Amino acid sequence: MTVHAAWRKPGHPMQLLLGLTIWSLWFVTLYGGLSVACAVAPPSPDQGALTALNLWLGLLTLVTLGVLLWLARFCLAAVRRESGRAARFIAAVAGGLHLFAASGVAFVGLPLVALPPCL
Amino acid sequence: MGVKPAVLLPLLLVGCTGEHSILDPAGPAARDVAWLWWGMLSAFSLVFLGVVGAWLAAFRRREHPERSASEERRLALRWILGGGILLPGVTILLLLAFGVPAGQRLLPLPLPGGESPRTIEVVGHQWWWEVRYPDEDGEVVTANQLAMPAGEPVDFHVTGGDVIHAFWVPRLGGKIDMLPGRVNRIRLEADEPGVFGAQCAEFCGAQHARMRLHVEAMAPEAFEAWLAARRSPPAQAEGHDAAREAFVEHCARCHRVEGLSDGREGPDLSDIGSRATLGAGVMAMEEGAIARWLAEHQRLKPGNHMPAHDQLDTEALEAIGAWLETLRP
Amino acid sequence: MSETLPDTSPEAQRLHRELEAVWGNPTGWRALTVVNHSTLGLRFMATGLVFFLLGGVLAMLVRAQLALPDHDFMSPGIYSQVTTMHGTVMMFLFAIPMLEGLAIYLIPKMIGARDLVCPRLTAFGYWCYLFGGIILFSSLLLEMAPDSGWFMYTPLSSGEYSPGLGSDFWLLGITFVEISALSAGVELTVSILRTRAPGMALHRMPLFAWYILAMALMIVVGFPPLILGSVLLELERATGMPFFAVEGGGDPVLWQHLFWLFGHPEVYIIFLPAAGIVSTLVPVFAGRPIVGYGWVVAAILTTGFISFGLWVHHMFTVGIPQLAQAFFSAASMLVAVPTAIQVFVWLATLWLGRPRMTLPMLWILGFLVIFVCGGLTGVMLALVPFNWQVHDTHFVVAHLHYVLVGGMLFPLLAGLYYWLPLVSGRLPSERLGRLGFWLTFLGFNLTFLIMHVTGLLGMPRRVYTYDAGLGWEPYNLVSSVGGFMMAAGIATVLLDLALHARFGRASPRNPWGADTLEWSLAMPPASYNFASLPRVESRHPLWDNPGLGGEVARGEHALAGAAHGRRELIGSEALTGRVREIIHLPTSSWWPLAAALMLAVVCISLLMRLYPLALAAFTVAVVLLLRWSWENGGHPLAAPMGHDEPADPPLHSRTQDGPGRWTMGVALLADGAFFLSLLFGWFYLWSVSPGWQMPESSPLSLALLLAAGLMLAVALGWLERRLRALGAGEDAGLAAALYGIAALGGLHLLMLMVMLWQAELAPTASAHDAVLLVGLLYVLLHGGLASLLTVLQARRATLGHVSARLPYEPRVVALLWRYQLGSYWILVVAIGLLPRLIGGGP
Repeated sequence: MTVHAAWRKPGHPMQLLLGLTIWSLWFVTLYGGLSVACAVAPPSPDQGALTALNLWLGLLTLVTLGVLLWLARFCLAAVRRESGRAARFIAAVAGGLHLFAASGVAFVGLPLVALPPCL
Repeated sequence: MGVKPAVLLPLLLVGCTGEHSILDPAGPAARDVAWLWWGMLSAFSLVFLGVVGAWLAAFRRREHPERSASEERRLALRWILGGGILLPGVTILLLLAFGVPAGQRLLPLPLPGGESPRTIEVVGHQWWWEVRYPDEDGEVVTANQLAMPAGEPVDFHVTGGDVIHAFWVPRLGGKIDMLPGRVNRIRLEADEPGVFGAQCAEFCGAQHARMRLHVEAMAPEAFEAWLAARRSPPAQAEGHDAAREAFVEHCARCHRVEGLSDGREGPDLSDIGSRATLGAGVMAMEEGAIARWLAEHQRLKPGNHMPAHDQLDTEALEAIGAWLETLRP
Repeated sequence: MSETLPDTSPEAQRLHRELEAVWGNPTGWRALTVVNHSTLGLRFMATGLVFFLLGGVLAMLVRAQLALPDHDFMSPGIYSQVTTMHGTVMMFLFAIPMLEGLAIYLIPKMIGARDLVCPRLTAFGYWCYLFGGIILFSSLLLEMAPDSGWFMYTPLSSGEYSPGLGSDFWLLGITFVEISALSAGVELTVSILRTRAPGMALHRMPLFAWYILAMALMIVVGFPPLILGSVLLELERATGMPFFAVEGGGDPVLWQHLFWLFGHPEVYIIFLPAAGIVSTLVPVFAGRPIVGYGWVVAAILTTGFISFGLWVHHMFTVGIPQLAQAFFSAASMLVAVPTAIQVFVWLATLWLGRPRMTLPMLWILGFLVIFVCGGLTGVMLALVPFNWQVHDTHFVVAHLHYVLVGGMLFPLLAGLYYWLPLVSGRLPSERLGRLGFWLTFLGFNLTFLIMHVTGLLGMPRRVYTYDAGLGWEPYNLVSSVGGFMMAAGIATVLLDLALHARFGRASPRNPWGADTLEWSLAMPPASYNFASLPRVESRHPLWDNPGLGGEVARGEHALAGAAHGRRELIGSEALTGRVREIIHLPTSSWWPLAAALMLAVVCISLLMRLYPLALAAFTVAVVLLLRWSWENGGHPLAAPMGHDEPADPPLHSRTQDGPGRWTMGVALLADGAFFLSLLFGWFYLWSVSPGWQMPESSPLSLALLLAAGLMLAVALGWLERRLRALGAGEDAGLAAALYGIAALGGLHLLMLMVMLWQAELAPTASAHDAVLLVGLLYVLLHGGLASLLTVLQARRATLGHVSARLPYEPRVVALLWRYQLGSYWILVVAIGLLPRLIGGGP
């Protein structure tokens, strides 16, 4: 295991940053998408939370959630297989971080089902 | 650490009341938040005592049972999962469940009946409030006082005239920023007629502290009467001609008096005689107060944007003051 | 002070003398050239302490003014200056530099290195901090201090509403000071990743290093948004470009976004190192390893990321859609999870160990009580409806002091008492220390616990006075009394420190029975830290081998001695800690001081609006910085090719990938954060600014934009080919090729300048043109720098400082070229293509 190995391996330090980076990108897209949509074409407040905008953002949230859960499984399953202790440590912590990022996506995305988008 | 509740309790008993107190709500929005506060305070006090107690107990413990490494790991994991994941996880889920609906009540959503609530526009200036009542029968404008009907929701449309200010009537509900170039909306309701304190809540310069607003909720019919009285120009009191002339010469460029002048730089003075305070809460309105304000306003509220009136002698100021006091609908 | 060496054998003495000759600090007026991390870390902390005391005096003035209703102690104008400066000084001139200083002092000692990787940068950072701090603070003495609040909201801070110099002092001074934060951020990151002791794999690194790594990376990403904001606001004030003015198409809310994009991570930048102190001390005083090391690492990284997703919770009352507020509300609550994980890890460690109650632990307990309280009110504030009520009241003032004083000052003092014996070799007085703690702790709670109530009773923040009869009087009086009590506590602590330096008992070696490497050193540590660099096989090197200090001093480990006259340390692999190369470091130098002085001249001349002078001084500063970079690699003053070349491992300048390349990479990360903030500003103004005017057709010539980009791509392609050849040992014609590449870069710049000239932008009339101008200046500046550095590389190739055996430096410069290519094309898409695709018009 060297630094030059592919970052995709579960024991690579980049994995420590990957899950939360995905969380951040999702978060920025969510907020940015909402702001731009509300500035360009706000849905009527009468519609409540059931708007196409909420739906699209919700879909994005579910996809991100799926990706993060898959990543978490990928890393956690690799903990036993990794050879070096350093790599095992990284895989375990990264798996936990992916899991946390996934729950973060679920939690922060929750208001999408309850609130109208642009008020 | 026993000191803290002992100090805090008597002070709390002194009262949650006060004309700016969040804990003395006078409307539905503020009441929701007050309940949220008491709920969070109780729950979080338990969490606080539990965590700090556990730390202190860790130091007090005398016996240290021998544990195997795996036993220790299990115990540690229990602490971390229970305290680090479960405790905050459940807490924040609960908070979100209470917080989102409470926030929704402040939203300017369409009312069930389809009608829209009364709108009052408030503009923040350095350091005074402009209050406008848009109406097809003619707009009413006043300053540093806000009358509103009690018992019904009112939508406030607020904006900033120069820098950023914030509109906040603590006993009725949350605050909203007044930004130049944008109009923000907030819905507030007063349960009963009453007088509430309000003060600019976003730092807006040297006299941020002296930017108070006198808010009065009235029974709906009293409010309509209040509004109607201000739709026509104030009656011309006899014998103030010299004062009126001096006003037109020296004050009219900045101040509006319905039917006389159209200055917009400073507060509208059409009903100044009926207001409770002067200078956005600097002093109470009483006989002779306006003349004193005109003479000493730079001492009473240093840095305010009204120029000093050194070119006018005391007599002229007193005359203008006496005339302005007659301006009441 | 003379060091007590861990070993007194003649061999240790001889090694000490030999290393001291190479690493020792010059004395007398040449002390200004010192680049040693221990000395500079202490200078940082001493300067931070002075600013802390000044900020504290300002706080006492505030409490004196607010003690009574209608109190006439200060005029409103002075009061605004005092509160603005209190916040600014405490945040920018005390908290951040103090913690940086602590990290600069400790990190090399903890990870088994002799210095940080960029010693001259440490010195440069210190001078920027000192000069910036002095410039900023002098404004208060001149009675023209900034008075728009430490958050500088525009339009209050704009030229129209703050016509004096106050805002300029803030914007320029803070930007100057931030250079120092960024310097420290960059070099701490690279030092932690690349200079750990052999064998110290990531999972064996002391937790403190993880915390500092996170802090450093957060500084690197978090400070650029504020730097951009400051640059834009200063441009608006100086030239009238309306970035934040509604009339010209700008938006004051953009400033708030940029400020809090920095400002919220800032809170965690301050908290994380302090939590690192707690995570270091708790296991030592519990007498056992920390439980859940991996959990703590995960919590640190989570905090680091999530803290960038919270900024809008400072802006809940701005009028952002409630759904968006709910996202930020949820994210703000989410950050409670990693914090709770750490609190319970510490608790479990104490529970499973045998905790000792010592003076440092007392401060840790005080931290816990206050910080848990502040954390809980923080969760309350994350709840949007509650936030709408208490935002901008004294409730928030109380909360933020609980978090910052509890979360930073208390652990800092715990750490100070803990590491004091290492720095001075003496122990502080237990009795005076306890008195100081209790006065501070009780005074603090008296001030700020009560202040929660003041806020709930509706008292807004930043008011210079309040009327009697609103029910606020008793609380304010109690808070003021508490404030002075806390000041007495801090004074007692300082007295204790002063007395200890004179009368303190000599400390035994490793007085607390700690496990980390810094306690194996001489007390106080020698300039070179480690006479030989030990191998580390576990997280607790000193618990495994209490005699390690003696072995190190006798030279029984790697790189003992310095007969070659170079300052050397080991460069290791980031993940595993395997040895990669020997890093040679520069010695004491005048360049950092000279460059920082020139930047101070830039800063002052901008303040006085002497723009030609500013430009001249800036040019001189660039020349000085380039001259500094000249003394590197194979230069005779650095590590010229010679006969005593170590081959395995080699010197870093003889490899393809030394620490300088990593430094460039991390610096470009900061640069990228700046660039992204600029793009954010562009898209933000475009989509939501109330008065934004998009011209019907773009003023930029598409043909020239694309041609300049192609030219850049060709230059980089050529450079990459030469680098591959260089890697294969081929250096014939290198200088000529580098000159050619630089010339292509020049052509790229020329095309850009022609396009800019043709565009006839009106940057003072419209925010649109102003942002275009700033974006184009950004790529012009970077293209210019890349070309200039390439010219210098060509010259160095001619002189033999760059060759097949010294292939390292062009690879560092290549990173800048790649960055320029990437950011240029992103900019082309954002300002050149997208407006054409989506269409102009209002």
